[in-house]
Amino acid sequence: MIRPHDSIIVQTLGRFLIPVIQMFGLYVLFFGQYGPGGGFVGGVILGTSMILSVLIFGHDASRSQVAKKVLHGDGVGMLIYAGVGGLCMIGSGEFLNYANLEIPGLETASRRSLGIVLTQIGVAVDVAVTAVSIVFSLSAEEIIEDSLNG
Amino acid sequence: MSHHFPAILFLLPMFAAISMPVVCLKHRQWSRPISIAVLVAMVGVSILNLISVIHHGEVRYAFSGWAAPLGIEWVADGLASVILVVLSLLGLLALVFAGPASPKDLGGRIVHYYILILLLIASLVGIVFAGDLFNLFVFLEVAAISSYALIGVAGGRALFAAFRYLILGTLGASLYLLGVSYFYAASGTLNMADMAEKLPQLLTSKAVVGGLLFMFIGLGIKMALVPFHAWLPDAYTYAPESISPILASLVTKVALIGWVRIIYWVLGAKAIVYDIPVLLLVGVLGTLAAVIGAVLALSQRDIKMMFSYGGISHIGIILIGVSQGNHTGFVGGVFYLLNDAVMQAALFFLAGVAICQYGVRTVEDMGQIGKRAPWFMVALVVVALGMIGLPPTGGFFGKWYIILGALEANNYIAVAAVLLSTLLTLAYFLKIFESIFRHPATDSEILPGETPLPFKLSVGITAAAVMILGLCSDLIVQFLLNQALPPGM
Repeated sequence: MIRPHDSIIVQTLGRFLIPVIQMFGLYVLFFGQYGPGGGFVGGVILGTSMILSVLIFGHDASRSQVAKKVLHGDGVGMLIYAGVGGLCMIGSGEFLNYANLEIPGLETASRRSLGIVLTQIGVAVDVAVTAVSIVFSLSAEEIIEDSLNG
Repeated sequence: MSHHFPAILFLLPMFAAISMPVVCLKHRQWSRPISIAVLVAMVGVSILNLISVIHHGEVRYAFSGWAAPLGIEWVADGLASVILVVLSLLGLLALVFAGPASPKDLGGRIVHYYILILLLIASLVGIVFAGDLFNLFVFLEVAAISSYALIGVAGGRALFAAFRYLILGTLGASLYLLGVSYFYAASGTLNMADMAEKLPQLLTSKAVVGGLLFMFIGLGIKMALVPFHAWLPDAYTYAPESISPILASLVTKVALIGWVRIIYWVLGAKAIVYDIPVLLLVGVLGTLAAVIGAVLALSQRDIKMMFSYGGISHIGIILIGVSQGNHTGFVGGVFYLLNDAVMQAALFFLAGVAICQYGVRTVEDMGQIGKRAPWFMVALVVVALGMIGLPPTGGFFGKWYIILGALEANNYIAVAAVLLSTLLTLAYFLKIFESIFRHPATDSEILPGETPLPFKLSVGITAAAVMILGLCSDLIVQFLLNQALPPGM
């Protein structure tokens, strides 16, 4: 069980830094199409921001509720990934061949662009969830048990 | 549509496993029906895939549309397709069996348990289909990690066995990865077909020789070839009864298929490295494994332990078959591999029933089952016939072709090893039957309750399959001869 950090400096800085980190994570995620970045790195940064809020404000704080809810989202990212892949297969291309992404009214170029963004979002979600659940399983046995027992 | 089958076969269990935590969040008991439905779909798709491969030839599926040397490729040729059918059928039966045989105190972990089983099956599909060496490594690791977790589920001694498997398995995977990186350094490619074109000029390169050795030792640990088999008996014996059939019948066999792919499809059958023919080396180790495994099996008291060592000796027999370097031996080896997968599944189903239903773990206590369950005895006799290799079971025809292949290659030591291992197999099954007939059950003992239907189904179907494989052996061997031979053989 992690208790709130008792230093006012850490708490104030945390309140300020966490949204900035999340913004930066999203930036890295979407910038991945044009330069260094992408789903994995973006997901790690997003996950880190949630871990930071747990470390600073403790498990029970209202700010950590997001992290607790996220634990149930294990696999949602891969479902997005599978959905994009499936749409490509429906469009009679290979799995994840974005040129065949079956979304009406789009040019081939925008299909490719949209396809890669969606899969990267999927990857980011799963990486973030994994990072958070590693921290929770190391620090708070009972939260994991609760999520197991429904 | 038909060219999508190989991808669908992998994606089905993979994404079913991954979406399970969300789907079963509120309804934990859904995990089992969903897994069974996925496996039923896989059986259907794998049969369709086999038919399409028979009619239209092999399928090479490039993920994302990136063609072979650059992208990730799935190769569904005759060999892979026929193995996939057996794999999905056995996976389905193992899941059916897993219902009443699973550990009782899983609670909320039941969802994770089925996720791990599906992941294991998905990764096995990946190993069979993988068209490049690195993906083979990835799926070997996924398969290994899910098996460690599944073995450890039971707790107690199983944790120790799983940890030992984890250490050795990780060592094997690291060595394999090291080997792949040497190959990559020498040839500049990871795709199997591409590498097969570049390797013949490179066989004198020290990197290739070193890489080959590392890969061989790595996969040897994964398939429990004799000097590296120490992890297997404990892991399979202390694994939950619901898990050992799937491990024993599929995991080691699929690692062996990976090795067959590397020797025949990447290296080429006639490869000679520093004056040592690769096939000869494999054949010698196979000969050792066939005999040593059977001797060790003879000295066991625990039935699961005995069957595990039996599996080790059969890995040796398969390797003898595929290392003869001629059509008969290769086809015999592959056919025996299919049979062995079925027989190992049947044996561990039987052992699971003996343990869960009758509480019998040792050879001496087998007599207690004797009169109480005639159907159990019939199945045991049929599977024993298959393991020993008597006609009309599939085991007989497999060994027959392996021996013919060895005779064709004038390899009399291999013939002797197969025969010796057959005799030893006969001996350890005689040990079981002797205890059954010499110590029949006394009437005063309490009768256990009704045998659950899944037990009867999975044992019955696998025992029947041992026979059916024998009766259809001609058909299957012809198919393997026509469709599953490696290029340039």
